[in-house]
Amino acid sequence: MKKILMLLLTTTLFFACQKDFGDLNVDTKKPTVVEPGALFVSSQKELSDLMASPNVNINIFRLLSQYWTETTYTDEANYDLATRNIPQNFWNTMYVSVLNNLKESQRLIPSQNISFFPAAVQKNQNACAEILNVYAFATLVNTFGNVPYTEALDISNVYPAYDDAAGIYDALFVRLDKAITDIDVNSEGFGSNDLFFGGDMNGWKIFANSLKLRMGMTIADVNAAKAKTIVEAAAPGTISSNAENVAFVYLSAPPNTNPVWEDLVQSGRQDFVAANTIVDAMNALNDPRVPLYFTVDANGGYTGGIYAASNNYATYSKPSTTLEDPTLEGILIDYAEVRFLLAEAVARGFNVGGTVEAHYEAAIRASMEYWGASTAEADAYLAQASVAYATAAGDWRQKIGTQKWIALYNRGFDGWVEWRRFDYPILNVPDGLTYGDIPVRYTYPIQEQTLNKENYTRGAASVGGDVVTTKLFWDVQ
Amino acid sequence: MKRLFTTIFMVLAVAGFALAQRTVTGTIAGDDGDVLIGASVAVKGAPGVGTRTDINGQYSLKVPAENNTLVITYTGYQTQEIILGISNVQDIIMTSGQLLQEAVVTALGISRYKNELAYSAQKVEGEELTRTRDANVVNSLAGKVAGLEIKRNNTLGGSTNVVLRGNKSLTGNNQALFVVDGVPIDNSNSNTGNQRTGRGGYDYGNAAADINADDVESVTVLKGAAATALYGSRASNGVVMINTKKGRKGKGIGVTINAGMNAGTYDKSTFITYQDQYGAGYGQYYEDDSGYFLSRDINEDGTADLVTPTSEDASYGAPFNSSQLVYQWDAFDPSSPNFGKATPWVAAPNGPASMFETALGTNNSIMIDGSTDKGYFKLGYTKTTDKGIMPNSRIDKDMVNFGASYNLTEKLNVFSSINFTSIDGRGRYGSGYDSKNLMTNYRQWWQTNVDVQDQRASYERTQQNVTWNWADPSDLKPIYWDNPYWTREENFSTDHRNRYFGYLGFTYNLTSWFDLTGRVSIDQFDEIQEERIAVGSIDPSLYSRFNRNFQEKNFDLLGQFKPFELTENLKFDALIGGNIRRASLATIRASTNGGISIPRLYSLGNSKNALIAPTEFASELQVNGIFAKAGFVYDSWAILDLSVRRDQASSLPEENNSYVYPSASLGFVFSEFFNANKNVTFGKIRLNYAEVGNAAPPLSVSDVYDVNAPFGNLSASLPVTKNNPDLKEERTKGFEAGLEMRFLSDKIGFDVTYYKQNTIDQIYPASVSRATGFSSKFINAGDVENTGVEVSLYFRPVHTRDFDWRVDLNWARNRNKVIDLGGIQNLQLASFQGGVSINAAVGEPYGTIKGNDYRYLNGQRIVSATTGRYLTSATSDIIIGNVNPDWIGGVTNTFRYKNLSLSFLIDMKKGGDMFSLDMYYGLATGLYPETASNNELGNPLRDPVSAGGGLLLPGVKPDGTPNDIRANAVNFGLQGYARNPAAGFVYDASFVKLRELNLNFDLPGKVLGDKKYVKGITIGAYGRNLWIIHKNMPYADPEDGLSSGNVQGYQVGSYPTVRTVGVNLNVKF
Repeated sequence: MKKILMLLLTTTLFFACQKDFGDLNVDTKKPTVVEPGALFVSSQKELSDLMASPNVNINIFRLLSQYWTETTYTDEANYDLATRNIPQNFWNTMYVSVLNNLKESQRLIPSQNISFFPAAVQKNQNACAEILNVYAFATLVNTFGNVPYTEALDISNVYPAYDDAAGIYDALFVRLDKAITDIDVNSEGFGSNDLFFGGDMNGWKIFANSLKLRMGMTIADVNAAKAKTIVEAAAPGTISSNAENVAFVYLSAPPNTNPVWEDLVQSGRQDFVAANTIVDAMNALNDPRVPLYFTVDANGGYTGGIYAASNNYATYSKPSTTLEDPTLEGILIDYAEVRFLLAEAVARGFNVGGTVEAHYEAAIRASMEYWGASTAEADAYLAQASVAYATAAGDWRQKIGTQKWIALYNRGFDGWVEWRRFDYPILNVPDGLTYGDIPVRYTYPIQEQTLNKENYTRGAASVGGDVVTTKLFWDVQ
Repeated sequence: MKRLFTTIFMVLAVAGFALAQRTVTGTIAGDDGDVLIGASVAVKGAPGVGTRTDINGQYSLKVPAENNTLVITYTGYQTQEIILGISNVQDIIMTSGQLLQEAVVTALGISRYKNELAYSAQKVEGEELTRTRDANVVNSLAGKVAGLEIKRNNTLGGSTNVVLRGNKSLTGNNQALFVVDGVPIDNSNSNTGNQRTGRGGYDYGNAAADINADDVESVTVLKGAAATALYGSRASNGVVMINTKKGRKGKGIGVTINAGMNAGTYDKSTFITYQDQYGAGYGQYYEDDSGYFLSRDINEDGTADLVTPTSEDASYGAPFNSSQLVYQWDAFDPSSPNFGKATPWVAAPNGPASMFETALGTNNSIMIDGSTDKGYFKLGYTKTTDKGIMPNSRIDKDMVNFGASYNLTEKLNVFSSINFTSIDGRGRYGSGYDSKNLMTNYRQWWQTNVDVQDQRASYERTQQNVTWNWADPSDLKPIYWDNPYWTREENFSTDHRNRYFGYLGFTYNLTSWFDLTGRVSIDQFDEIQEERIAVGSIDPSLYSRFNRNFQEKNFDLLGQFKPFELTENLKFDALIGGNIRRASLATIRASTNGGISIPRLYSLGNSKNALIAPTEFASELQVNGIFAKAGFVYDSWAILDLSVRRDQASSLPEENNSYVYPSASLGFVFSEFFNANKNVTFGKIRLNYAEVGNAAPPLSVSDVYDVNAPFGNLSASLPVTKNNPDLKEERTKGFEAGLEMRFLSDKIGFDVTYYKQNTIDQIYPASVSRATGFSSKFINAGDVENTGVEVSLYFRPVHTRDFDWRVDLNWARNRNKVIDLGGIQNLQLASFQGGVSINAAVGEPYGTIKGNDYRYLNGQRIVSATTGRYLTSATSDIIIGNVNPDWIGGVTNTFRYKNLSLSFLIDMKKGGDMFSLDMYYGLATGLYPETASNNELGNPLRDPVSAGGGLLLPGVKPDGTPNDIRANAVNFGLQGYARNPAAGFVYDASFVKLRELNLNFDLPGKVLGDKKYVKGITIGAYGRNLWIIHKNMPYADPEDGLSSGNVQGYQVGSYPTVRTVGVNLNVKF
């Protein structure tokens, strides 16, 4: 008995110590090696989700642009950025989920087998990642101003310094030009991991040029000469039809649906109605896109809720059923926007060909076509004196600014950037605030105040104060 | 190590020789003639050999051949030493008046006389834990041990936070270690990060609830590092040592049957009181002329009717008016008697409180035990059922314990224990800010015109989600809240946990001065949690399941040098040992994607869309430890203990994976030197210093990728936390000094301890600027200091044969300070809705609440000169509270008159702050009475300012003059979140509670008459949480939180306290 027991105990102890000690600390459920394409997939989706989302925790640009307003819980429409840490969530997603994975993807590109992924392919892949990098950093700059750039994305330096916003733009132009040069349209890129163009490098080249056009125009008020060079170089290679739009195509099943569907349909909530700002403006112009953008109100017409006030959901028009489609594509840049940029370029005296009027009309027609208005409706719309370029109210800034803002519906971020650039349309002012209180930038994340204090303090001082009313470097008009 | 063990076992296997041992039995009685139950019988010169008298005052003890003196101790009696003669029967009469030599069980299950301990240890008897029959034995420790902070949550079967001497680890585990008969027991909870931070989910409780209270003989709490150093790393948070019953000594087989039941009701002071003057709505901006109602022609008579704004989950609407008829939610419920009818606009007769049911609990157990001179056995079965105050909630527990010990030869004893626990939960309460937590609904977002019993009737009639909260009368789908009965009956969770823990071991008397003990122990559980959301609910329908498998094995080998007299006055004893701990955890979480297809079929296969791959996690940890301890006792007044341990942990980088840590304890019994002073019966000073090393959590050294749901193709990303290949161990350094004294024939005594502990080089994921591309990075840095004082005191004002009164008091204050965070200034532990966060900030206590604050001028709140509303700070990083209490304490009074005993425990906490999201929102949505009161003019504050309404907020205008601007409160928000900073909703969480009340009657022997087979009957009545004597937190229990763990100080959707009364019958055969 005793011996049996001893033997049992001994054996148990012996086997208990079998597995190699050092192997215990290995994660058996997660990979230590992945292909760069897998990281590229996640960064594309994260970027597109971030820009498309209407979630009040992360993207309230549709409110800032006054396309939508809120019904009962109106804090965000009243520019309360702090309670939900909105700037922080936007910043974090961009750096952690988008940029760091792009960087890791780029780090892994050279590790691929050269016989399956020849130099030209690797170069193309790198160019794709570079273009998205430029897009993401330009978006950060357009939101905050100075942000960490040269010292960013390096975990060995947990106190990254903030770079001057104009300087970041300069650096981004260099990277964009290099990416354009590097692209070999006859070689493969990321193939099926390319969720924008399915590996078609020509699409990326057009994307890069269109982005360059947009960014060049963004600095036109602060550095016209540089803008002119950039815009003129980019213009010939930009999007030339809606078929070339840079769009992220969502899928019908969660979690790969358009985030708009999640918040408008899946959530079952009634948080948003159309803002009176845009509905009033479009009604005044008899815009045929009104029923394409919005649903009918309680009386069968189209009215928006009073911006930033408490609004009864049933009373007002809501975002249209087009926006409730889970597979609705997320647009990063489209044909209408490019033609508006070209219109502006001509208005500024840049040599990009065509007339202001022609580009302006083409832009509006592109938007009409995209949203499903007929050619006849577009013709009638453009024929109105209030719309026709020659007779519409105001200078080119007001004419282009107003129409571009309407065309950028459902692209809240771009709407907000262009409103700041053109200073049109005139937005509504929430009760108790003044026009000057409407945010023209985001405050830095609270985390930066606690985790990167010295650099935050310097960054805040150099943009001119960490408040929402500080204008960004290009917002000088 | 492996080879060493093998060798030792082989040696043992061939060894084995006999030596005589005798069994001594007898009865111990007091000088009043009554037998003494639980008197300690020990063998002099043989620590660890001892027993206690049973219910009949009888004992049976194996006495080693080389020893011949018994030491009998009993609280309140003089210690006696009996020198054994030829007779093996020793009946002993004790003389009252002296208390000495209480034995306690210390680390690794070694029994020590309390007098010889040079560190702080406090003992609680098992009967003190079962008095009020709490289903979670951990809860019963509250208020009974100085410095042990027990914080329970009010959900049925919810987790309980157990912290000794403050939080030490920044992000790691701070819960005390539970050890049952020397075997560490996992006490983790599997609550999700969302659940812990108030974002919804269920509190599935903590695993120490698997311990059977009926099987507990006593609990010893070892508080400081010196007491626990032999347990290694994870004992740095202190140890709760549970000693189970060891089988009744005496003749034959004993049977104990316990049967009890209890009932509970909610404590009204911990639930919301509603204002009864205004109904549904957020203000005056709807469709009718008043602005309060929707205006629709419901009865098709051509004129518009008044309709409740059903989508609005607030009570900031129209004033009640019983003559006004309004189409409410039930007018659109075809099954309702009110279908198509307008009903009077009045406050609902049956508010949410009518949903609370009477909680019912039962507990039944049977324990069979017996012993011979060769060993003992015990076998117990306990079943408890608990039905909560929420509908469709129930937790059943089945617990089986078996334990036995047998002397195979004179020198070889084998022992084993196996415990099986099965817990079944159904309908645990939803928690957090979530549609499944009805308290969030009732305390924050509710219409006071909705009758909950009508909602119930509607659900029972239709089995459909007929909610009061329709998106619109023309769009009958739920918008923010489901019918509350639908929520409870359809969207419920179930869970099941099977757990086994136990051990198998032997002790071999190798020589007369050396024992060898070997033991293998296993703690294992398999757990499943299933959650459901039915088709038709506001959230997408869902079935999810979470499986969790935990296993820990310990292999111990312990050599014990028995006390040995080095010189005439100097005794020496020693231990050497080794321990291999191997723990593994594997989880898998899967859920349907985008809803379920067939209603009420809850299976993964019923997913609407293709399943997303389940999330798997697996980790393993092994720690190899060797240790040695030496003890010296000089002339019974000086005690010195020294220990050292070396651990090697698999979770650290290979080149840094072993570490050594020492401890030293010194005791000085100064009362030995003034025997002349009769007033001082005992006095001892203790000093000790110890270090404990701790390893990293598994999988924090090397980097991997996260795999996301595929988007056509594989999608992967970098994890948000950067691992660190250069980690080394973290370390706790603790110093402790104590003074124990007893006076006046032990009528009064106290134990005071001062301690200081620093936990340095902490391994934790430090938050970093997200511009690095990561959220955090594992580092070795930081220093958290805890200093404190603990006092335990007893007083026995009356002690006679018939009447006894005893007072036990425990009190402790801990001061916690974050000294260093490795360069950063603030570590955010959790961020919450409401813009508040719980933090560890340098120079502050661990657990500061940060958020935005009012603005102040000369100490007064500043009010806007235009709106009359408070101005708030621009930033949200202002310290607005601290979760740590100033002190905690408990007082137990025990009275005994003949066979009748009465005891009650008052449990207290002073200080500590709590943020309430319930008040934050509920004051905005107009639920509480203070939102419907009159202003200083005597007018309703909700009236327009122009009509004399509005509220004059206390404070000053920016120019410093007193505020004279009445703020408009026509629409929702003024008193709640929209117009006030987070600081306005931080409350003092102090409390004084009548925690336990217990009345017991022991049927005297003569009543039982000749029926000798019944050895005792005890009938008891008890109450738990009967009365919150004092609190400062309105409408809620200041103790309630979300989950056990490091994140405390936040309430959302808080459940009321349940006051429980019960009866209990205990029969011994």
